[in-house]
Amino acid sequence: MLRAFLGGATAALLALGLVLALWLSPPDAYQGEYVRIMYVHVPSALAAYVAAAVACVAGALYLWRRQARYDHLAQAGAELVVVFSGLTLLSGMLWGRPVWGVWWAWDARLVTTAVLFLLYVGCVLVRGLSDDPERGRSLAAVVGVVGFLDVPIVHYSVVWFRTLHQPPSIGPGGVAIAPPLLLPLVVNALAYLALLGYLLVERARLAQVEASR
Amino acid sequence: MRALERAVALAAKDLRVEWRRREVLLPSASFGLLVALVLGLTQGAQPDRAPAVLWVALALAAVLLVERTTEREGEEGTLEALLLYPGSREDLFWGRWAALVVLLLVLGLALGLAQAVLFGVRLGPGWMRLAAAGLLASCGLAAVGALLSALLLNVRGGHLLMPLLLLPTCLPVLLAGIRLTESALQGAPFGPWLGVLVVFDALLLLVGPPLFAAVAEG
Repeated sequence: MLRAFLGGATAALLALGLVLALWLSPPDAYQGEYVRIMYVHVPSALAAYVAAAVACVAGALYLWRRQARYDHLAQAGAELVVVFSGLTLLSGMLWGRPVWGVWWAWDARLVTTAVLFLLYVGCVLVRGLSDDPERGRSLAAVVGVVGFLDVPIVHYSVVWFRTLHQPPSIGPGGVAIAPPLLLPLVVNALAYLALLGYLLVERARLAQVEASR
Repeated sequence: MRALERAVALAAKDLRVEWRRREVLLPSASFGLLVALVLGLTQGAQPDRAPAVLWVALALAAVLLVERTTEREGEEGTLEALLLYPGSREDLFWGRWAALVVLLLVLGLALGLAQAVLFGVRLGPGWMRLAAAGLLASCGLAAVGALLSALLLNVRGGHLLMPLLLLPTCLPVLLAGIRLTESALQGAPFGPWLGVLVVFDALLLLVGPPLFAAVAEG
């Protein structure tokens, strides 16, 4: 029942987000139609960080309590970090090429997202490559915890090292984004978070079924 | 035995094995030197490039060093034997960490001296600050290394996963090391970089021992 509701809500939010992003949102004064990539890029980045937080907390709980359900959630979280950070990198490159003139820039958020992607690829790999499944679960949990705690330090160190990316448009200092663009962004962010929640539940359930066979 | 004594005994054991066999430091240092040579040759050996080349070479050599010490534990099954001893698992982490700090400091010193010659760097009065930066960086690298070495034991292709996990995790150490070395050479203030290293070290040394213990027991 809960899964059906979550699935339905996710589909409805994604459809609404798509309509807002493609038709109702006006083109940007400087970037033109390219700004529509933002409605995929920013929400998927948000979903990647939330998934990493889920993997970290679930991994820590698994190491503490050793209950399989935490491990299933950690596994789902880690895999979804790879999916959403991969999507963030891809959409960022597609956006960067027309707007910045380059596919890739050595900027803090790009590098941090790439590091996040690589760390969680390692996290997924270490689970699969471990000879003993129980050991693989512990290892993946540890990589998930360390990876998430490390990412803020990576981010700030790269910020200080060099940076080109625009500063965050939505932060403690206020909102620097036009209201007609803000509404589609918020709806799409909610849609991606709902999608993340739905995929987390489904993937964790699948992991549970796999484990019980 | 108290915790400190156990950790010191373990570190002394690791260092004694290395002293008698000399099978980890020498290949790692040679590899680091090779990286420095290749980078100097292809990118140009101006003195201002030395810090970046030094830290990249050091990070890659450190991967090799941690990997090889882990392999030795795996081949000889020493970790399993150590786990049978009474006492906290966290002491095993501290012993391993202390041994790695010493090995990394020796590696860093050797590579740093070689770099100074290769890139024509004149080390002025900044050497004490450089040493402090090297010590902090070694502590952070060793914490990640000690944790990963326990993780990747008995994992197929663990030696392939080591660089994939160690290098991104240690990126802050690498960047901080480069900037601190630059400012030590130019006599400029350290800026926020010392803080980055201290925060990184504190975090890894805080979560490292319990995570190590959780994995060792699992």
